[in-house]
Amino acid sequence: MKVREIMTKDLTAVEKDVPVRELIFILENAEMPNMPVVGDDGMLIGFISEKDLIRAALPGYFEMLHSASFIPDMNQLSTKLLKIADEPIENYMRREVHYVTEDDDDLRAADLVIRQGVKNLPVVDADGRLVGRVRRIDLLRHFL
Amino acid sequence: MIITVTLNPAVDKVYWVDRLRICEVAEEEFMTRALRSATSAGGKGVNMSVFLSGMGMENVAMGFVGGHTGHVVVRDLRDRGVTTNFIWTREETRTNVTVLEQGHESVPMLIGEAGGGVTDHEMERFLRRYRRMLGRAEWVVLAGSIPPGIDATIYRDLAQMAQDAGAKVVLSAGGEALVQTFESCPYLVKPDTREHRELMGIDLASKEKIIEAGRHIASCGAEMVVISHEVTGDIAVTRDAVWEIRTPVRPVEFRNLVGADDVFLAGILFRLVEGDGVEQALRFGLAAGLASAESEEKVCREIERIEAEMPKVTVERLEREGA
Repeated sequence: MKVREIMTKDLTAVEKDVPVRELIFILENAEMPNMPVVGDDGMLIGFISEKDLIRAALPGYFEMLHSASFIPDMNQLSTKLLKIADEPIENYMRREVHYVTEDDDDLRAADLVIRQGVKNLPVVDADGRLVGRVRRIDLLRHFL
Repeated sequence: MIITVTLNPAVDKVYWVDRLRICEVAEEEFMTRALRSATSAGGKGVNMSVFLSGMGMENVAMGFVGGHTGHVVVRDLRDRGVTTNFIWTREETRTNVTVLEQGHESVPMLIGEAGGGVTDHEMERFLRRYRRMLGRAEWVVLAGSIPPGIDATIYRDLAQMAQDAGAKVVLSAGGEALVQTFESCPYLVKPDTREHRELMGIDLASKEKIIEAGRHIASCGAEMVVISHEVTGDIAVTRDAVWEIRTPVRPVEFRNLVGADDVFLAGILFRLVEGDGVEQALRFGLAAGLASAESEEKVCREIERIEAEMPKVTVERLEREGA
């Protein structure tokens, strides 16, 4: 089956000059763990997640998690987040984006979601414009 | 592709009751138990999106949503195949309540909230996203009320932007928003006259007055103006003709009128986009509206049921311009 048949048809996205503070508001309210970043022409140009923001505030945190028991200093997180709150997200977004096209097979989407360990992937049309996202839950429901 | 803009969407909550008791019984009997209820995404543009999607027509619903009810709107739209592209706001999306008393469904009790405000910053975010979407749109629907705090000229600005991008505009609004916008030449105009049976200072008390009001709007550039005449009849004014659309179906046969008018307009738009002429589009539109009004479900998306209503609709060309 094609991705277009299982994807969530939602175009919620942010532009690269959106401040970190605003991105957090959108992530929280839209209940999305990550967000595609688009240009003014609607083309997918990046991707940013809650994880990227934590990494920006606490560099090295995720690496330390893999090697030892580590409890972050919440004051440190708060102080650093406040420091970057008004910075544009382009300072922290990922420019190499994993995505699928609406004509890709469901298996390719599942493979990417599992391999990359992401909760959802942006879906683009043949021109590279954002047309939706395929969520891990979309795939689970689809394959059930 | 079609964009529908609903700046002030709603959760539509419908209750069916056997009898509505208001201020007529002792305190312990105040409770009116609902026989059943339904919850759905609402608002004029939203209802049109749901219908168009059911007809297989690709469309994107835009506007503002917020809070738990905002999620109800977005989730319902996605479940019905509509692509969503809303701006999340700090204010909660409004809820509109309809109570339908058994045997009197054609006279619903409606309680509509005004809706939460939208900040300047949220509007800026919307405009940026709207501009981006216009590159993909052939049609833009601007429909429904305007959230508190937003200037009534907003539809005029959105219409102008759409036309500059080469899209045709459908306007379904009332009050000041309509007055401010119809002169910017929308392709299709459906004035909302539910609260005031008056347009441009013309009292819509007769068919002749409705035609006069329609002509006034059409003279400013609209290709088609559709104005409700009676519950089961409408007048359409085009550049070169006046049409009367009617059905003998009695209002007592209606089960749920919520959204039927939006389905009517969406039906007209659907057939126009498909390439039909005015007469066929009007006939299909009223048939779709009828099918919705005759069922408990707000938006009828079954083409067989709509087609079954078509013979009940008459479309009469009343006069030809200059004739």
